[in-house]
Amino acid sequence: MHTRNLPVLRLLAAALTLALAGCGALGVKPWQRDLMAREDMRLDANAIDASLDEHMYFSKEASAGGRTFAGGGCGCN
Amino acid sequence: MQLKRPARDLRRWLVAASCGLLSASVARAQDGGDASPPADDGPATVVDTALAYYHESDGRVRAIEPIVSVHRDYGDERAANVKLTFDSLSGATPNGAVPSRKAQTFATPSGKSLNATPQTYTTASGNVVVVSAPIYIVGPGQLPMDPNYHDQRLAVNGSYDLPWDRLTRSTFGADLSYEHDFLSASLNASLARDLNDKNTTISAGVNGEFDLVQPIGGSPVPLSDYTLFEKVGNHSKHDLNLVLGATQVMNRHWLTDLSLSADRFSGYLNDPYKIVSLVDPGGNVTGYLYENRPGTRTRGSVFLENRVATDRTSVSLSLRYMTDSWAIHSQTAQLKLRWWNPDHDRYLEPTARWYRQTAASFFSPWISSTTTTPLSYASADQRLGAFHAIRGGLKYSAKWADDTGPDGSELSVRAEWYRQTSDNTFVLPGALQGLNVFPGLSAVLMSFEWRFNW
Repeated sequence: MHTRNLPVLRLLAAALTLALAGCGALGVKPWQRDLMAREDMRLDANAIDASLDEHMYFSKEASAGGRTFAGGGCGCN
Repeated sequence: MQLKRPARDLRRWLVAASCGLLSASVARAQDGGDASPPADDGPATVVDTALAYYHESDGRVRAIEPIVSVHRDYGDERAANVKLTFDSLSGATPNGAVPSRKAQTFATPSGKSLNATPQTYTTASGNVVVVSAPIYIVGPGQLPMDPNYHDQRLAVNGSYDLPWDRLTRSTFGADLSYEHDFLSASLNASLARDLNDKNTTISAGVNGEFDLVQPIGGSPVPLSDYTLFEKVGNHSKHDLNLVLGATQVMNRHWLTDLSLSADRFSGYLNDPYKIVSLVDPGGNVTGYLYENRPGTRTRGSVFLENRVATDRTSVSLSLRYMTDSWAIHSQTAQLKLRWWNPDHDRYLEPTARWYRQTAASFFSPWISSTTTTPLSYASADQRLGAFHAIRGGLKYSAKWADDTGPDGSELSVRAEWYRQTSDNTFVLPGALQGLNVFPGLSAVLMSFEWRFNW
């Protein structure tokens, strides 16, 4: 192994250690869910807005969907 | 109190118009559940209504779209959602041909000739009827667009959430959409499982769609000469879509979501109303062919969203990468901010979106009239070309108390602006130089939404 790669490897190892340490602390207790319970933290919030936007993107762009099903239900290709 | 009565009557009408469909329970798994049910555990119904107006520049498509969505929460993790959508579209839509230095004549989809002479008929009762020829003429240098575009669409979506146990739930949905030349039906199911004290959710969903394409005047024979009007009957296409998702509560403020999606389309994937110009080496238009696309398309995407909330703000950043077997690659980034007032009954929400796509391998703005290479596929549909798009918008929403609760009603108004700019790098031959072959697109979207508890 080339010694010039050692600083990069040490940096990666440090980042991995930090990430693993962070994973152990992921999540909240039930009494800490005040912000998560808010409507703007719901992934399916604003479904009407999302359906209007997706309909437009589906009819004007070649991509659709991602987190939701990509079907367009219209003949606009 | 008198002021509340008309609103109450309107609510009764909207609910009556929609609730009868609840027993059928339909809509896409991730589409439902927009409504936030009231805090008590009993059954509750939330109604979302919206009126959207979409307008493209240069006399292109205009659309009005009213929507009614009813969400019934049964208080025991079961919920049903039904959404009705009606679209009315009109205006001009590009037919795929390039502009020319000379005027160009095209037939509307129902036309069977480019003859501009009005047709004269004598009815059985002896009356003489003169019918205008179903053609349109595009002036020199103008982008060829069919100015007579009209369409209406009626769509019904529904879903039903069913819990299996405290940590596992499923959603079943169905969608039906009807236009006079297109019918679409789909069924979907998804399963979600909570892990790690409900800090992690994994999910899997499948959607199957069947579409019947019934073009006005028939389906053109692919790559046939436009002037021959060779058309046959109806066609169908199918789509199978799988979506896998994982959502993680990172901490009190931060939520992250990762989704993988795969699509397989097969069948008639052409746009029956799109043509491709034949152009000679001097840049002169010499004719047109109907387009042809491959009969299958496989598409995959990765979607990542992060949301961060503080007491009076929230930020959402979503990124998507998509690639498909037509060689289209796209990247999308969307940023959404929300600022609440101190009482949390009003918010302002600016949005910015950036999108870029590469062209499909068979995207051909025109075909050389002297080519000797046999053609397999060709489409001049600008939506399959290379472009980038930006979008900006602003939404304002206010809640107020009514007889159903402290946040019983919510009114929102939203305005969005969208601009598409071509990234195509084709070298224009001779006479096409100086003409706006890749004009891009500008559009605005306005919507008014009213949500209330029932």
